[in-house]
Amino acid sequence: MPPRYTFAVSDVQYLVTFGVMLTIALTIATLVANVRQQTRVAGARERRTAMLYAMSRELAATRGRSSMAEIAVKHVAEVFLCEAVVLLPDANGKLHHPSAPPAPVSYRGSDLAVAQWVHDHGQRAGFGSDTLPAAPALYLPLGDDQRALGVLGVLPQSQRRVTLPEQLHLLETFAGQIGLALERENLAAQAEGARVAAQGESLRNTLLASISHDLRTPLAVMAGAGSTLATHGDELDAATRRSLAVSIESRAREMSELISNVLDLTRFESGSPALRRDWESVDDLAAVALQRLDARLAGHSISLQLPADLPAVFVDASLVVQVFANLLDNVAKYTPPGCAVRITAQAEARFVRVMVDDDGPGLPAGDPAALFDKFHRGADEGNIAGVGLGLAICRAIVQAHGGEIRASTRAKGGARFEFTLPMEPA
Amino acid sequence: MTQAMHQVVVVEDEPGIRDVLRVLLTTANYRVVEAENAARGELEARAHKPDLLLLDLGLPDRDGVDLIRRVRAWSAVPIIVLSARTAEDQKIAALDAGADDYVTKPFAAAELLARVRAALRRNATGEAKSATLALGSIAIDLSRREVTGGAAPVHLTPLEYRVLENLARHPGTIVKQDALIREVWGPAQLGDTRSLRVCIRNLRSKLEPDPSRPRYIVTEAGLGYRLRPDEIADLDS
Repeated sequence: MPPRYTFAVSDVQYLVTFGVMLTIALTIATLVANVRQQTRVAGARERRTAMLYAMSRELAATRGRSSMAEIAVKHVAEVFLCEAVVLLPDANGKLHHPSAPPAPVSYRGSDLAVAQWVHDHGQRAGFGSDTLPAAPALYLPLGDDQRALGVLGVLPQSQRRVTLPEQLHLLETFAGQIGLALERENLAAQAEGARVAAQGESLRNTLLASISHDLRTPLAVMAGAGSTLATHGDELDAATRRSLAVSIESRAREMSELISNVLDLTRFESGSPALRRDWESVDDLAAVALQRLDARLAGHSISLQLPADLPAVFVDASLVVQVFANLLDNVAKYTPPGCAVRITAQAEARFVRVMVDDDGPGLPAGDPAALFDKFHRGADEGNIAGVGLGLAICRAIVQAHGGEIRASTRAKGGARFEFTLPMEPA
Repeated sequence: MTQAMHQVVVVEDEPGIRDVLRVLLTTANYRVVEAENAARGELEARAHKPDLLLLDLGLPDRDGVDLIRRVRAWSAVPIIVLSARTAEDQKIAALDAGADDYVTKPFAAAELLARVRAALRRNATGEAKSATLALGSIAIDLSRREVTGGAAPVHLTPLEYRVLENLARHPGTIVKQDALIREVWGPAQLGDTRSLRVCIRNLRSKLEPDPSRPRYIVTEAGLGYRLRPDEIADLDS
């Protein structure tokens, strides 16, 4: 279209064309720029969404408020290029600095007084807000109106990164997610607390029921034998008097063992008791238990066959004696007289494995592991005394030493109880 | 019993247990003085200069362990404590404070009397005066430092003999394991109970008819050992 190579317009009509085309070009340029901007915004939004999702996912896989706080801090710091802190309240609603060692991105200089105000009022404070706008950091409440769950504090490298409305909105979204996660954790803790309380309640009830059953029988025997001796003692021959007295004594010992077991179990239930550990030889401990149960096991043939070079174990002697005593007591209760009991042991990598075998009727049907549960008793035990605490205590003691205990039926018949004891301080 | 009656002060707050102890001890020919709390117990001990103090650890007015310490400040009278099996720490505290022995509640009459006799015997003869002790066919002669008898000659290493000697000086009463280690191995070895365990095992294999079911060298789990020569073991049954 002549004239070429010049901006001179030869015809007025082309002037119009030029105008139109310029407008179109400008419009297109603007539109393209807009699209590009939108793409960028969408990209940024997508990245943020991804970051939010990453945090939520990690929070969902975490237990414990302080671990959650650490994860939240890590993500917020990364997304907003800031130092961050999550301040959690104690049972009285008072905020504390985290007890965990601070990460590089942790905001250490947070102002607890401001944070507490935020926590109590449920409003944010610090720069970019109506309260204390001159403060270097921004504090946002976590949780909803009903329940304050903590405060998120951020100290950005540049405040502009956070005060832009879109960024601020995003930060609030993050705070919301953290709040939700903490809320979930709180609910879980409440549910757990309720479960434990209920279990404790049922434990007490079962314990009371079992104990009163197991105490009543020996008490009845003792009262009967005692009153017989008191009122008719003179008419009885010496042998009868003696047998009544013996049954009073043996029933009383039974009850005393029961009480000891209950006390032991309570001790283990209320947290792990301090172990008085020392190097002990297994044959010593087994012999003490055998001696203690001598009378009860009189009808059984017992052999203790330990290798001469069995290493010493590092255990609480009286507790391990109790393990042996409870296992042997079980043998006395659940196998007929005349059964053979064999105690053997072998050294393994870091443990000594002890086996107590008998050739009695074997384990009752069902999961052998359940035998170690509190108050577990075989289905047809009938009149055998015992509240099913003995094996539970064995398990508690062995586990407190870092060992394991299990029961099995032997291939040749009879039961095997085996447990491990550590050879070295853990 | 031909010797003069021994006097025993019983400090126990439960009247029922006090009754049983009185009946048991008077039947066995001891004179019994009773006290129902620690303050009274200390008073009676000072007034009567008894041959033995039998003491329950759970007293209403004061800790029994505290009473042991106070009595030990002026007297070497043998002290036996009564304690529950589950109260291990209490037992150890009592032995550390100067008690000579303990009897687990609920106690058997024979066991209690055997402990009482052993404690009185130790006090009467003093340390290591008693010349010989019999473990079955084996005789320990402390003055000549000899172990004789038995089917085969008994050869003890110097360490084994010293452990046996320390046990034999207090026949029938408990000897704490750290006391044994201090006496035999020296204070530097305290805490090395492994050597002691090995030594005891060797002693048993040389002296016991059935080392896996020891009759003479008896373990007190977590506390120490007790030598039960025939004269004490016989009285037990």
